[in-house]
Amino acid sequence: MPEPAPQPSHLQLFLGMQQVALSSFGGGLSAWSERIVVEDRQWMNKEEFITGLTVARLFPGPNQINMAVYIGSRFHGLSGAAAALLGILLLPFSVLMLLGLSYYYLHETLAVDRVLAGVITASAGMALSMGFKIAGVYSRDPVAMLLAGGSFIAMSVFHVRLVPLVLVAGPLAMAWYWPRGEQK
Amino acid sequence: MSTAAAITAAATANCQAVDLGDWRNLLAVIWDFLHLSLFSLGGGNTLLNEYHHMAVEQYCWLSSRQFAEIYAIAEAAPGPSSMIVGLLGMGAAVKEGAAWALLSGVVAEVAILLPSTLLMVAAALSWNRLRNSPWRVAFERGLGPITLGILFAVGLKILRISDHDTPAYAVSLVVCVLMLRTKISPLWFMTVAGLMGALGLVNR
Repeated sequence: MPEPAPQPSHLQLFLGMQQVALSSFGGGLSAWSERIVVEDRQWMNKEEFITGLTVARLFPGPNQINMAVYIGSRFHGLSGAAAALLGILLLPFSVLMLLGLSYYYLHETLAVDRVLAGVITASAGMALSMGFKIAGVYSRDPVAMLLAGGSFIAMSVFHVRLVPLVLVAGPLAMAWYWPRGEQK
Repeated sequence: MSTAAAITAAATANCQAVDLGDWRNLLAVIWDFLHLSLFSLGGGNTLLNEYHHMAVEQYCWLSSRQFAEIYAIAEAAPGPSSMIVGLLGMGAAVKEGAAWALLSGVVAEVAILLPSTLLMVAAALSWNRLRNSPWRVAFERGLGPITLGILFAVGLKILRISDHDTPAYAVSLVVCVLMLRTKISPLWFMTVAGLMGALGLVNR
């Protein structure tokens, strides 16, 4: 019988999440997170991990950062969350800050400016793909499409800001989708 | 309606940068990030239009074009792309020198992450009670379609501020289709598009 893995300490949480961040330079954060947390270190089993991802996606905040917070807080509450968060953020954020400084000091250079003119066309395409990526889930629900279309038009045509939009449309949508008479 | 539009246009043209040395202005900006944190549906990308509004129209830290560029940098850099907030904070203080830019970047990032992180800790610790609650079900089903609509609005906004000629739009559309149909790393798209920019094939 395999012994259950002992609870990770704060330092182990920090280092484990740092390994996730390091491994995923170049992409695939979610897959690396599962490999390291579930397979290598056995901090939680696969079901627990998937539950964590569900919670991370449901609540506000970047999904992978929420996932780190979830893992940390399960073992050591708030301080565990802080250790895990620091682990997953420290290296990528430092790299980003260096890139940012280089950008702000160099972006007016002609060569950099021209390369960036190209790069932003690619990132614009990536931004455009975000909606299409999840649209399939809702395409057979006319009310969902109406809500999506209404939110899109409110924001793009009438320049409604996000907070009032969510505060008005959110409760309406929740009332419509409130579970009635469904057996769980 | 047209009067309001005219006023908005005038305000944009004369966008006056607020002095962040005044602590009241600084607190207002930090408050903006703190409360937006709790509205970051769908992993945070839904906030991009708000960031653009803040940085370009409200506080005048960046031009629209610079916003498109730091979005690209945040996408290309390792780690979650929502760290763009660190770059916004940096842009707000870069005129004061590198040290202030770094400090401001860190403060902005902490402000955008703190509320959602605290909420996430509470959620992780009480999930067993939440998971079968009707509130959870209604929230998940109801906010999903709104997130979808907002993501399309964000995509369109970034497209508009990034691309200004036909070849640029063509590259964006091709990248969009490849993102949906293939598993090629986005870094390749950025590399190729960057080369196209260097060769003058796409322009602003």
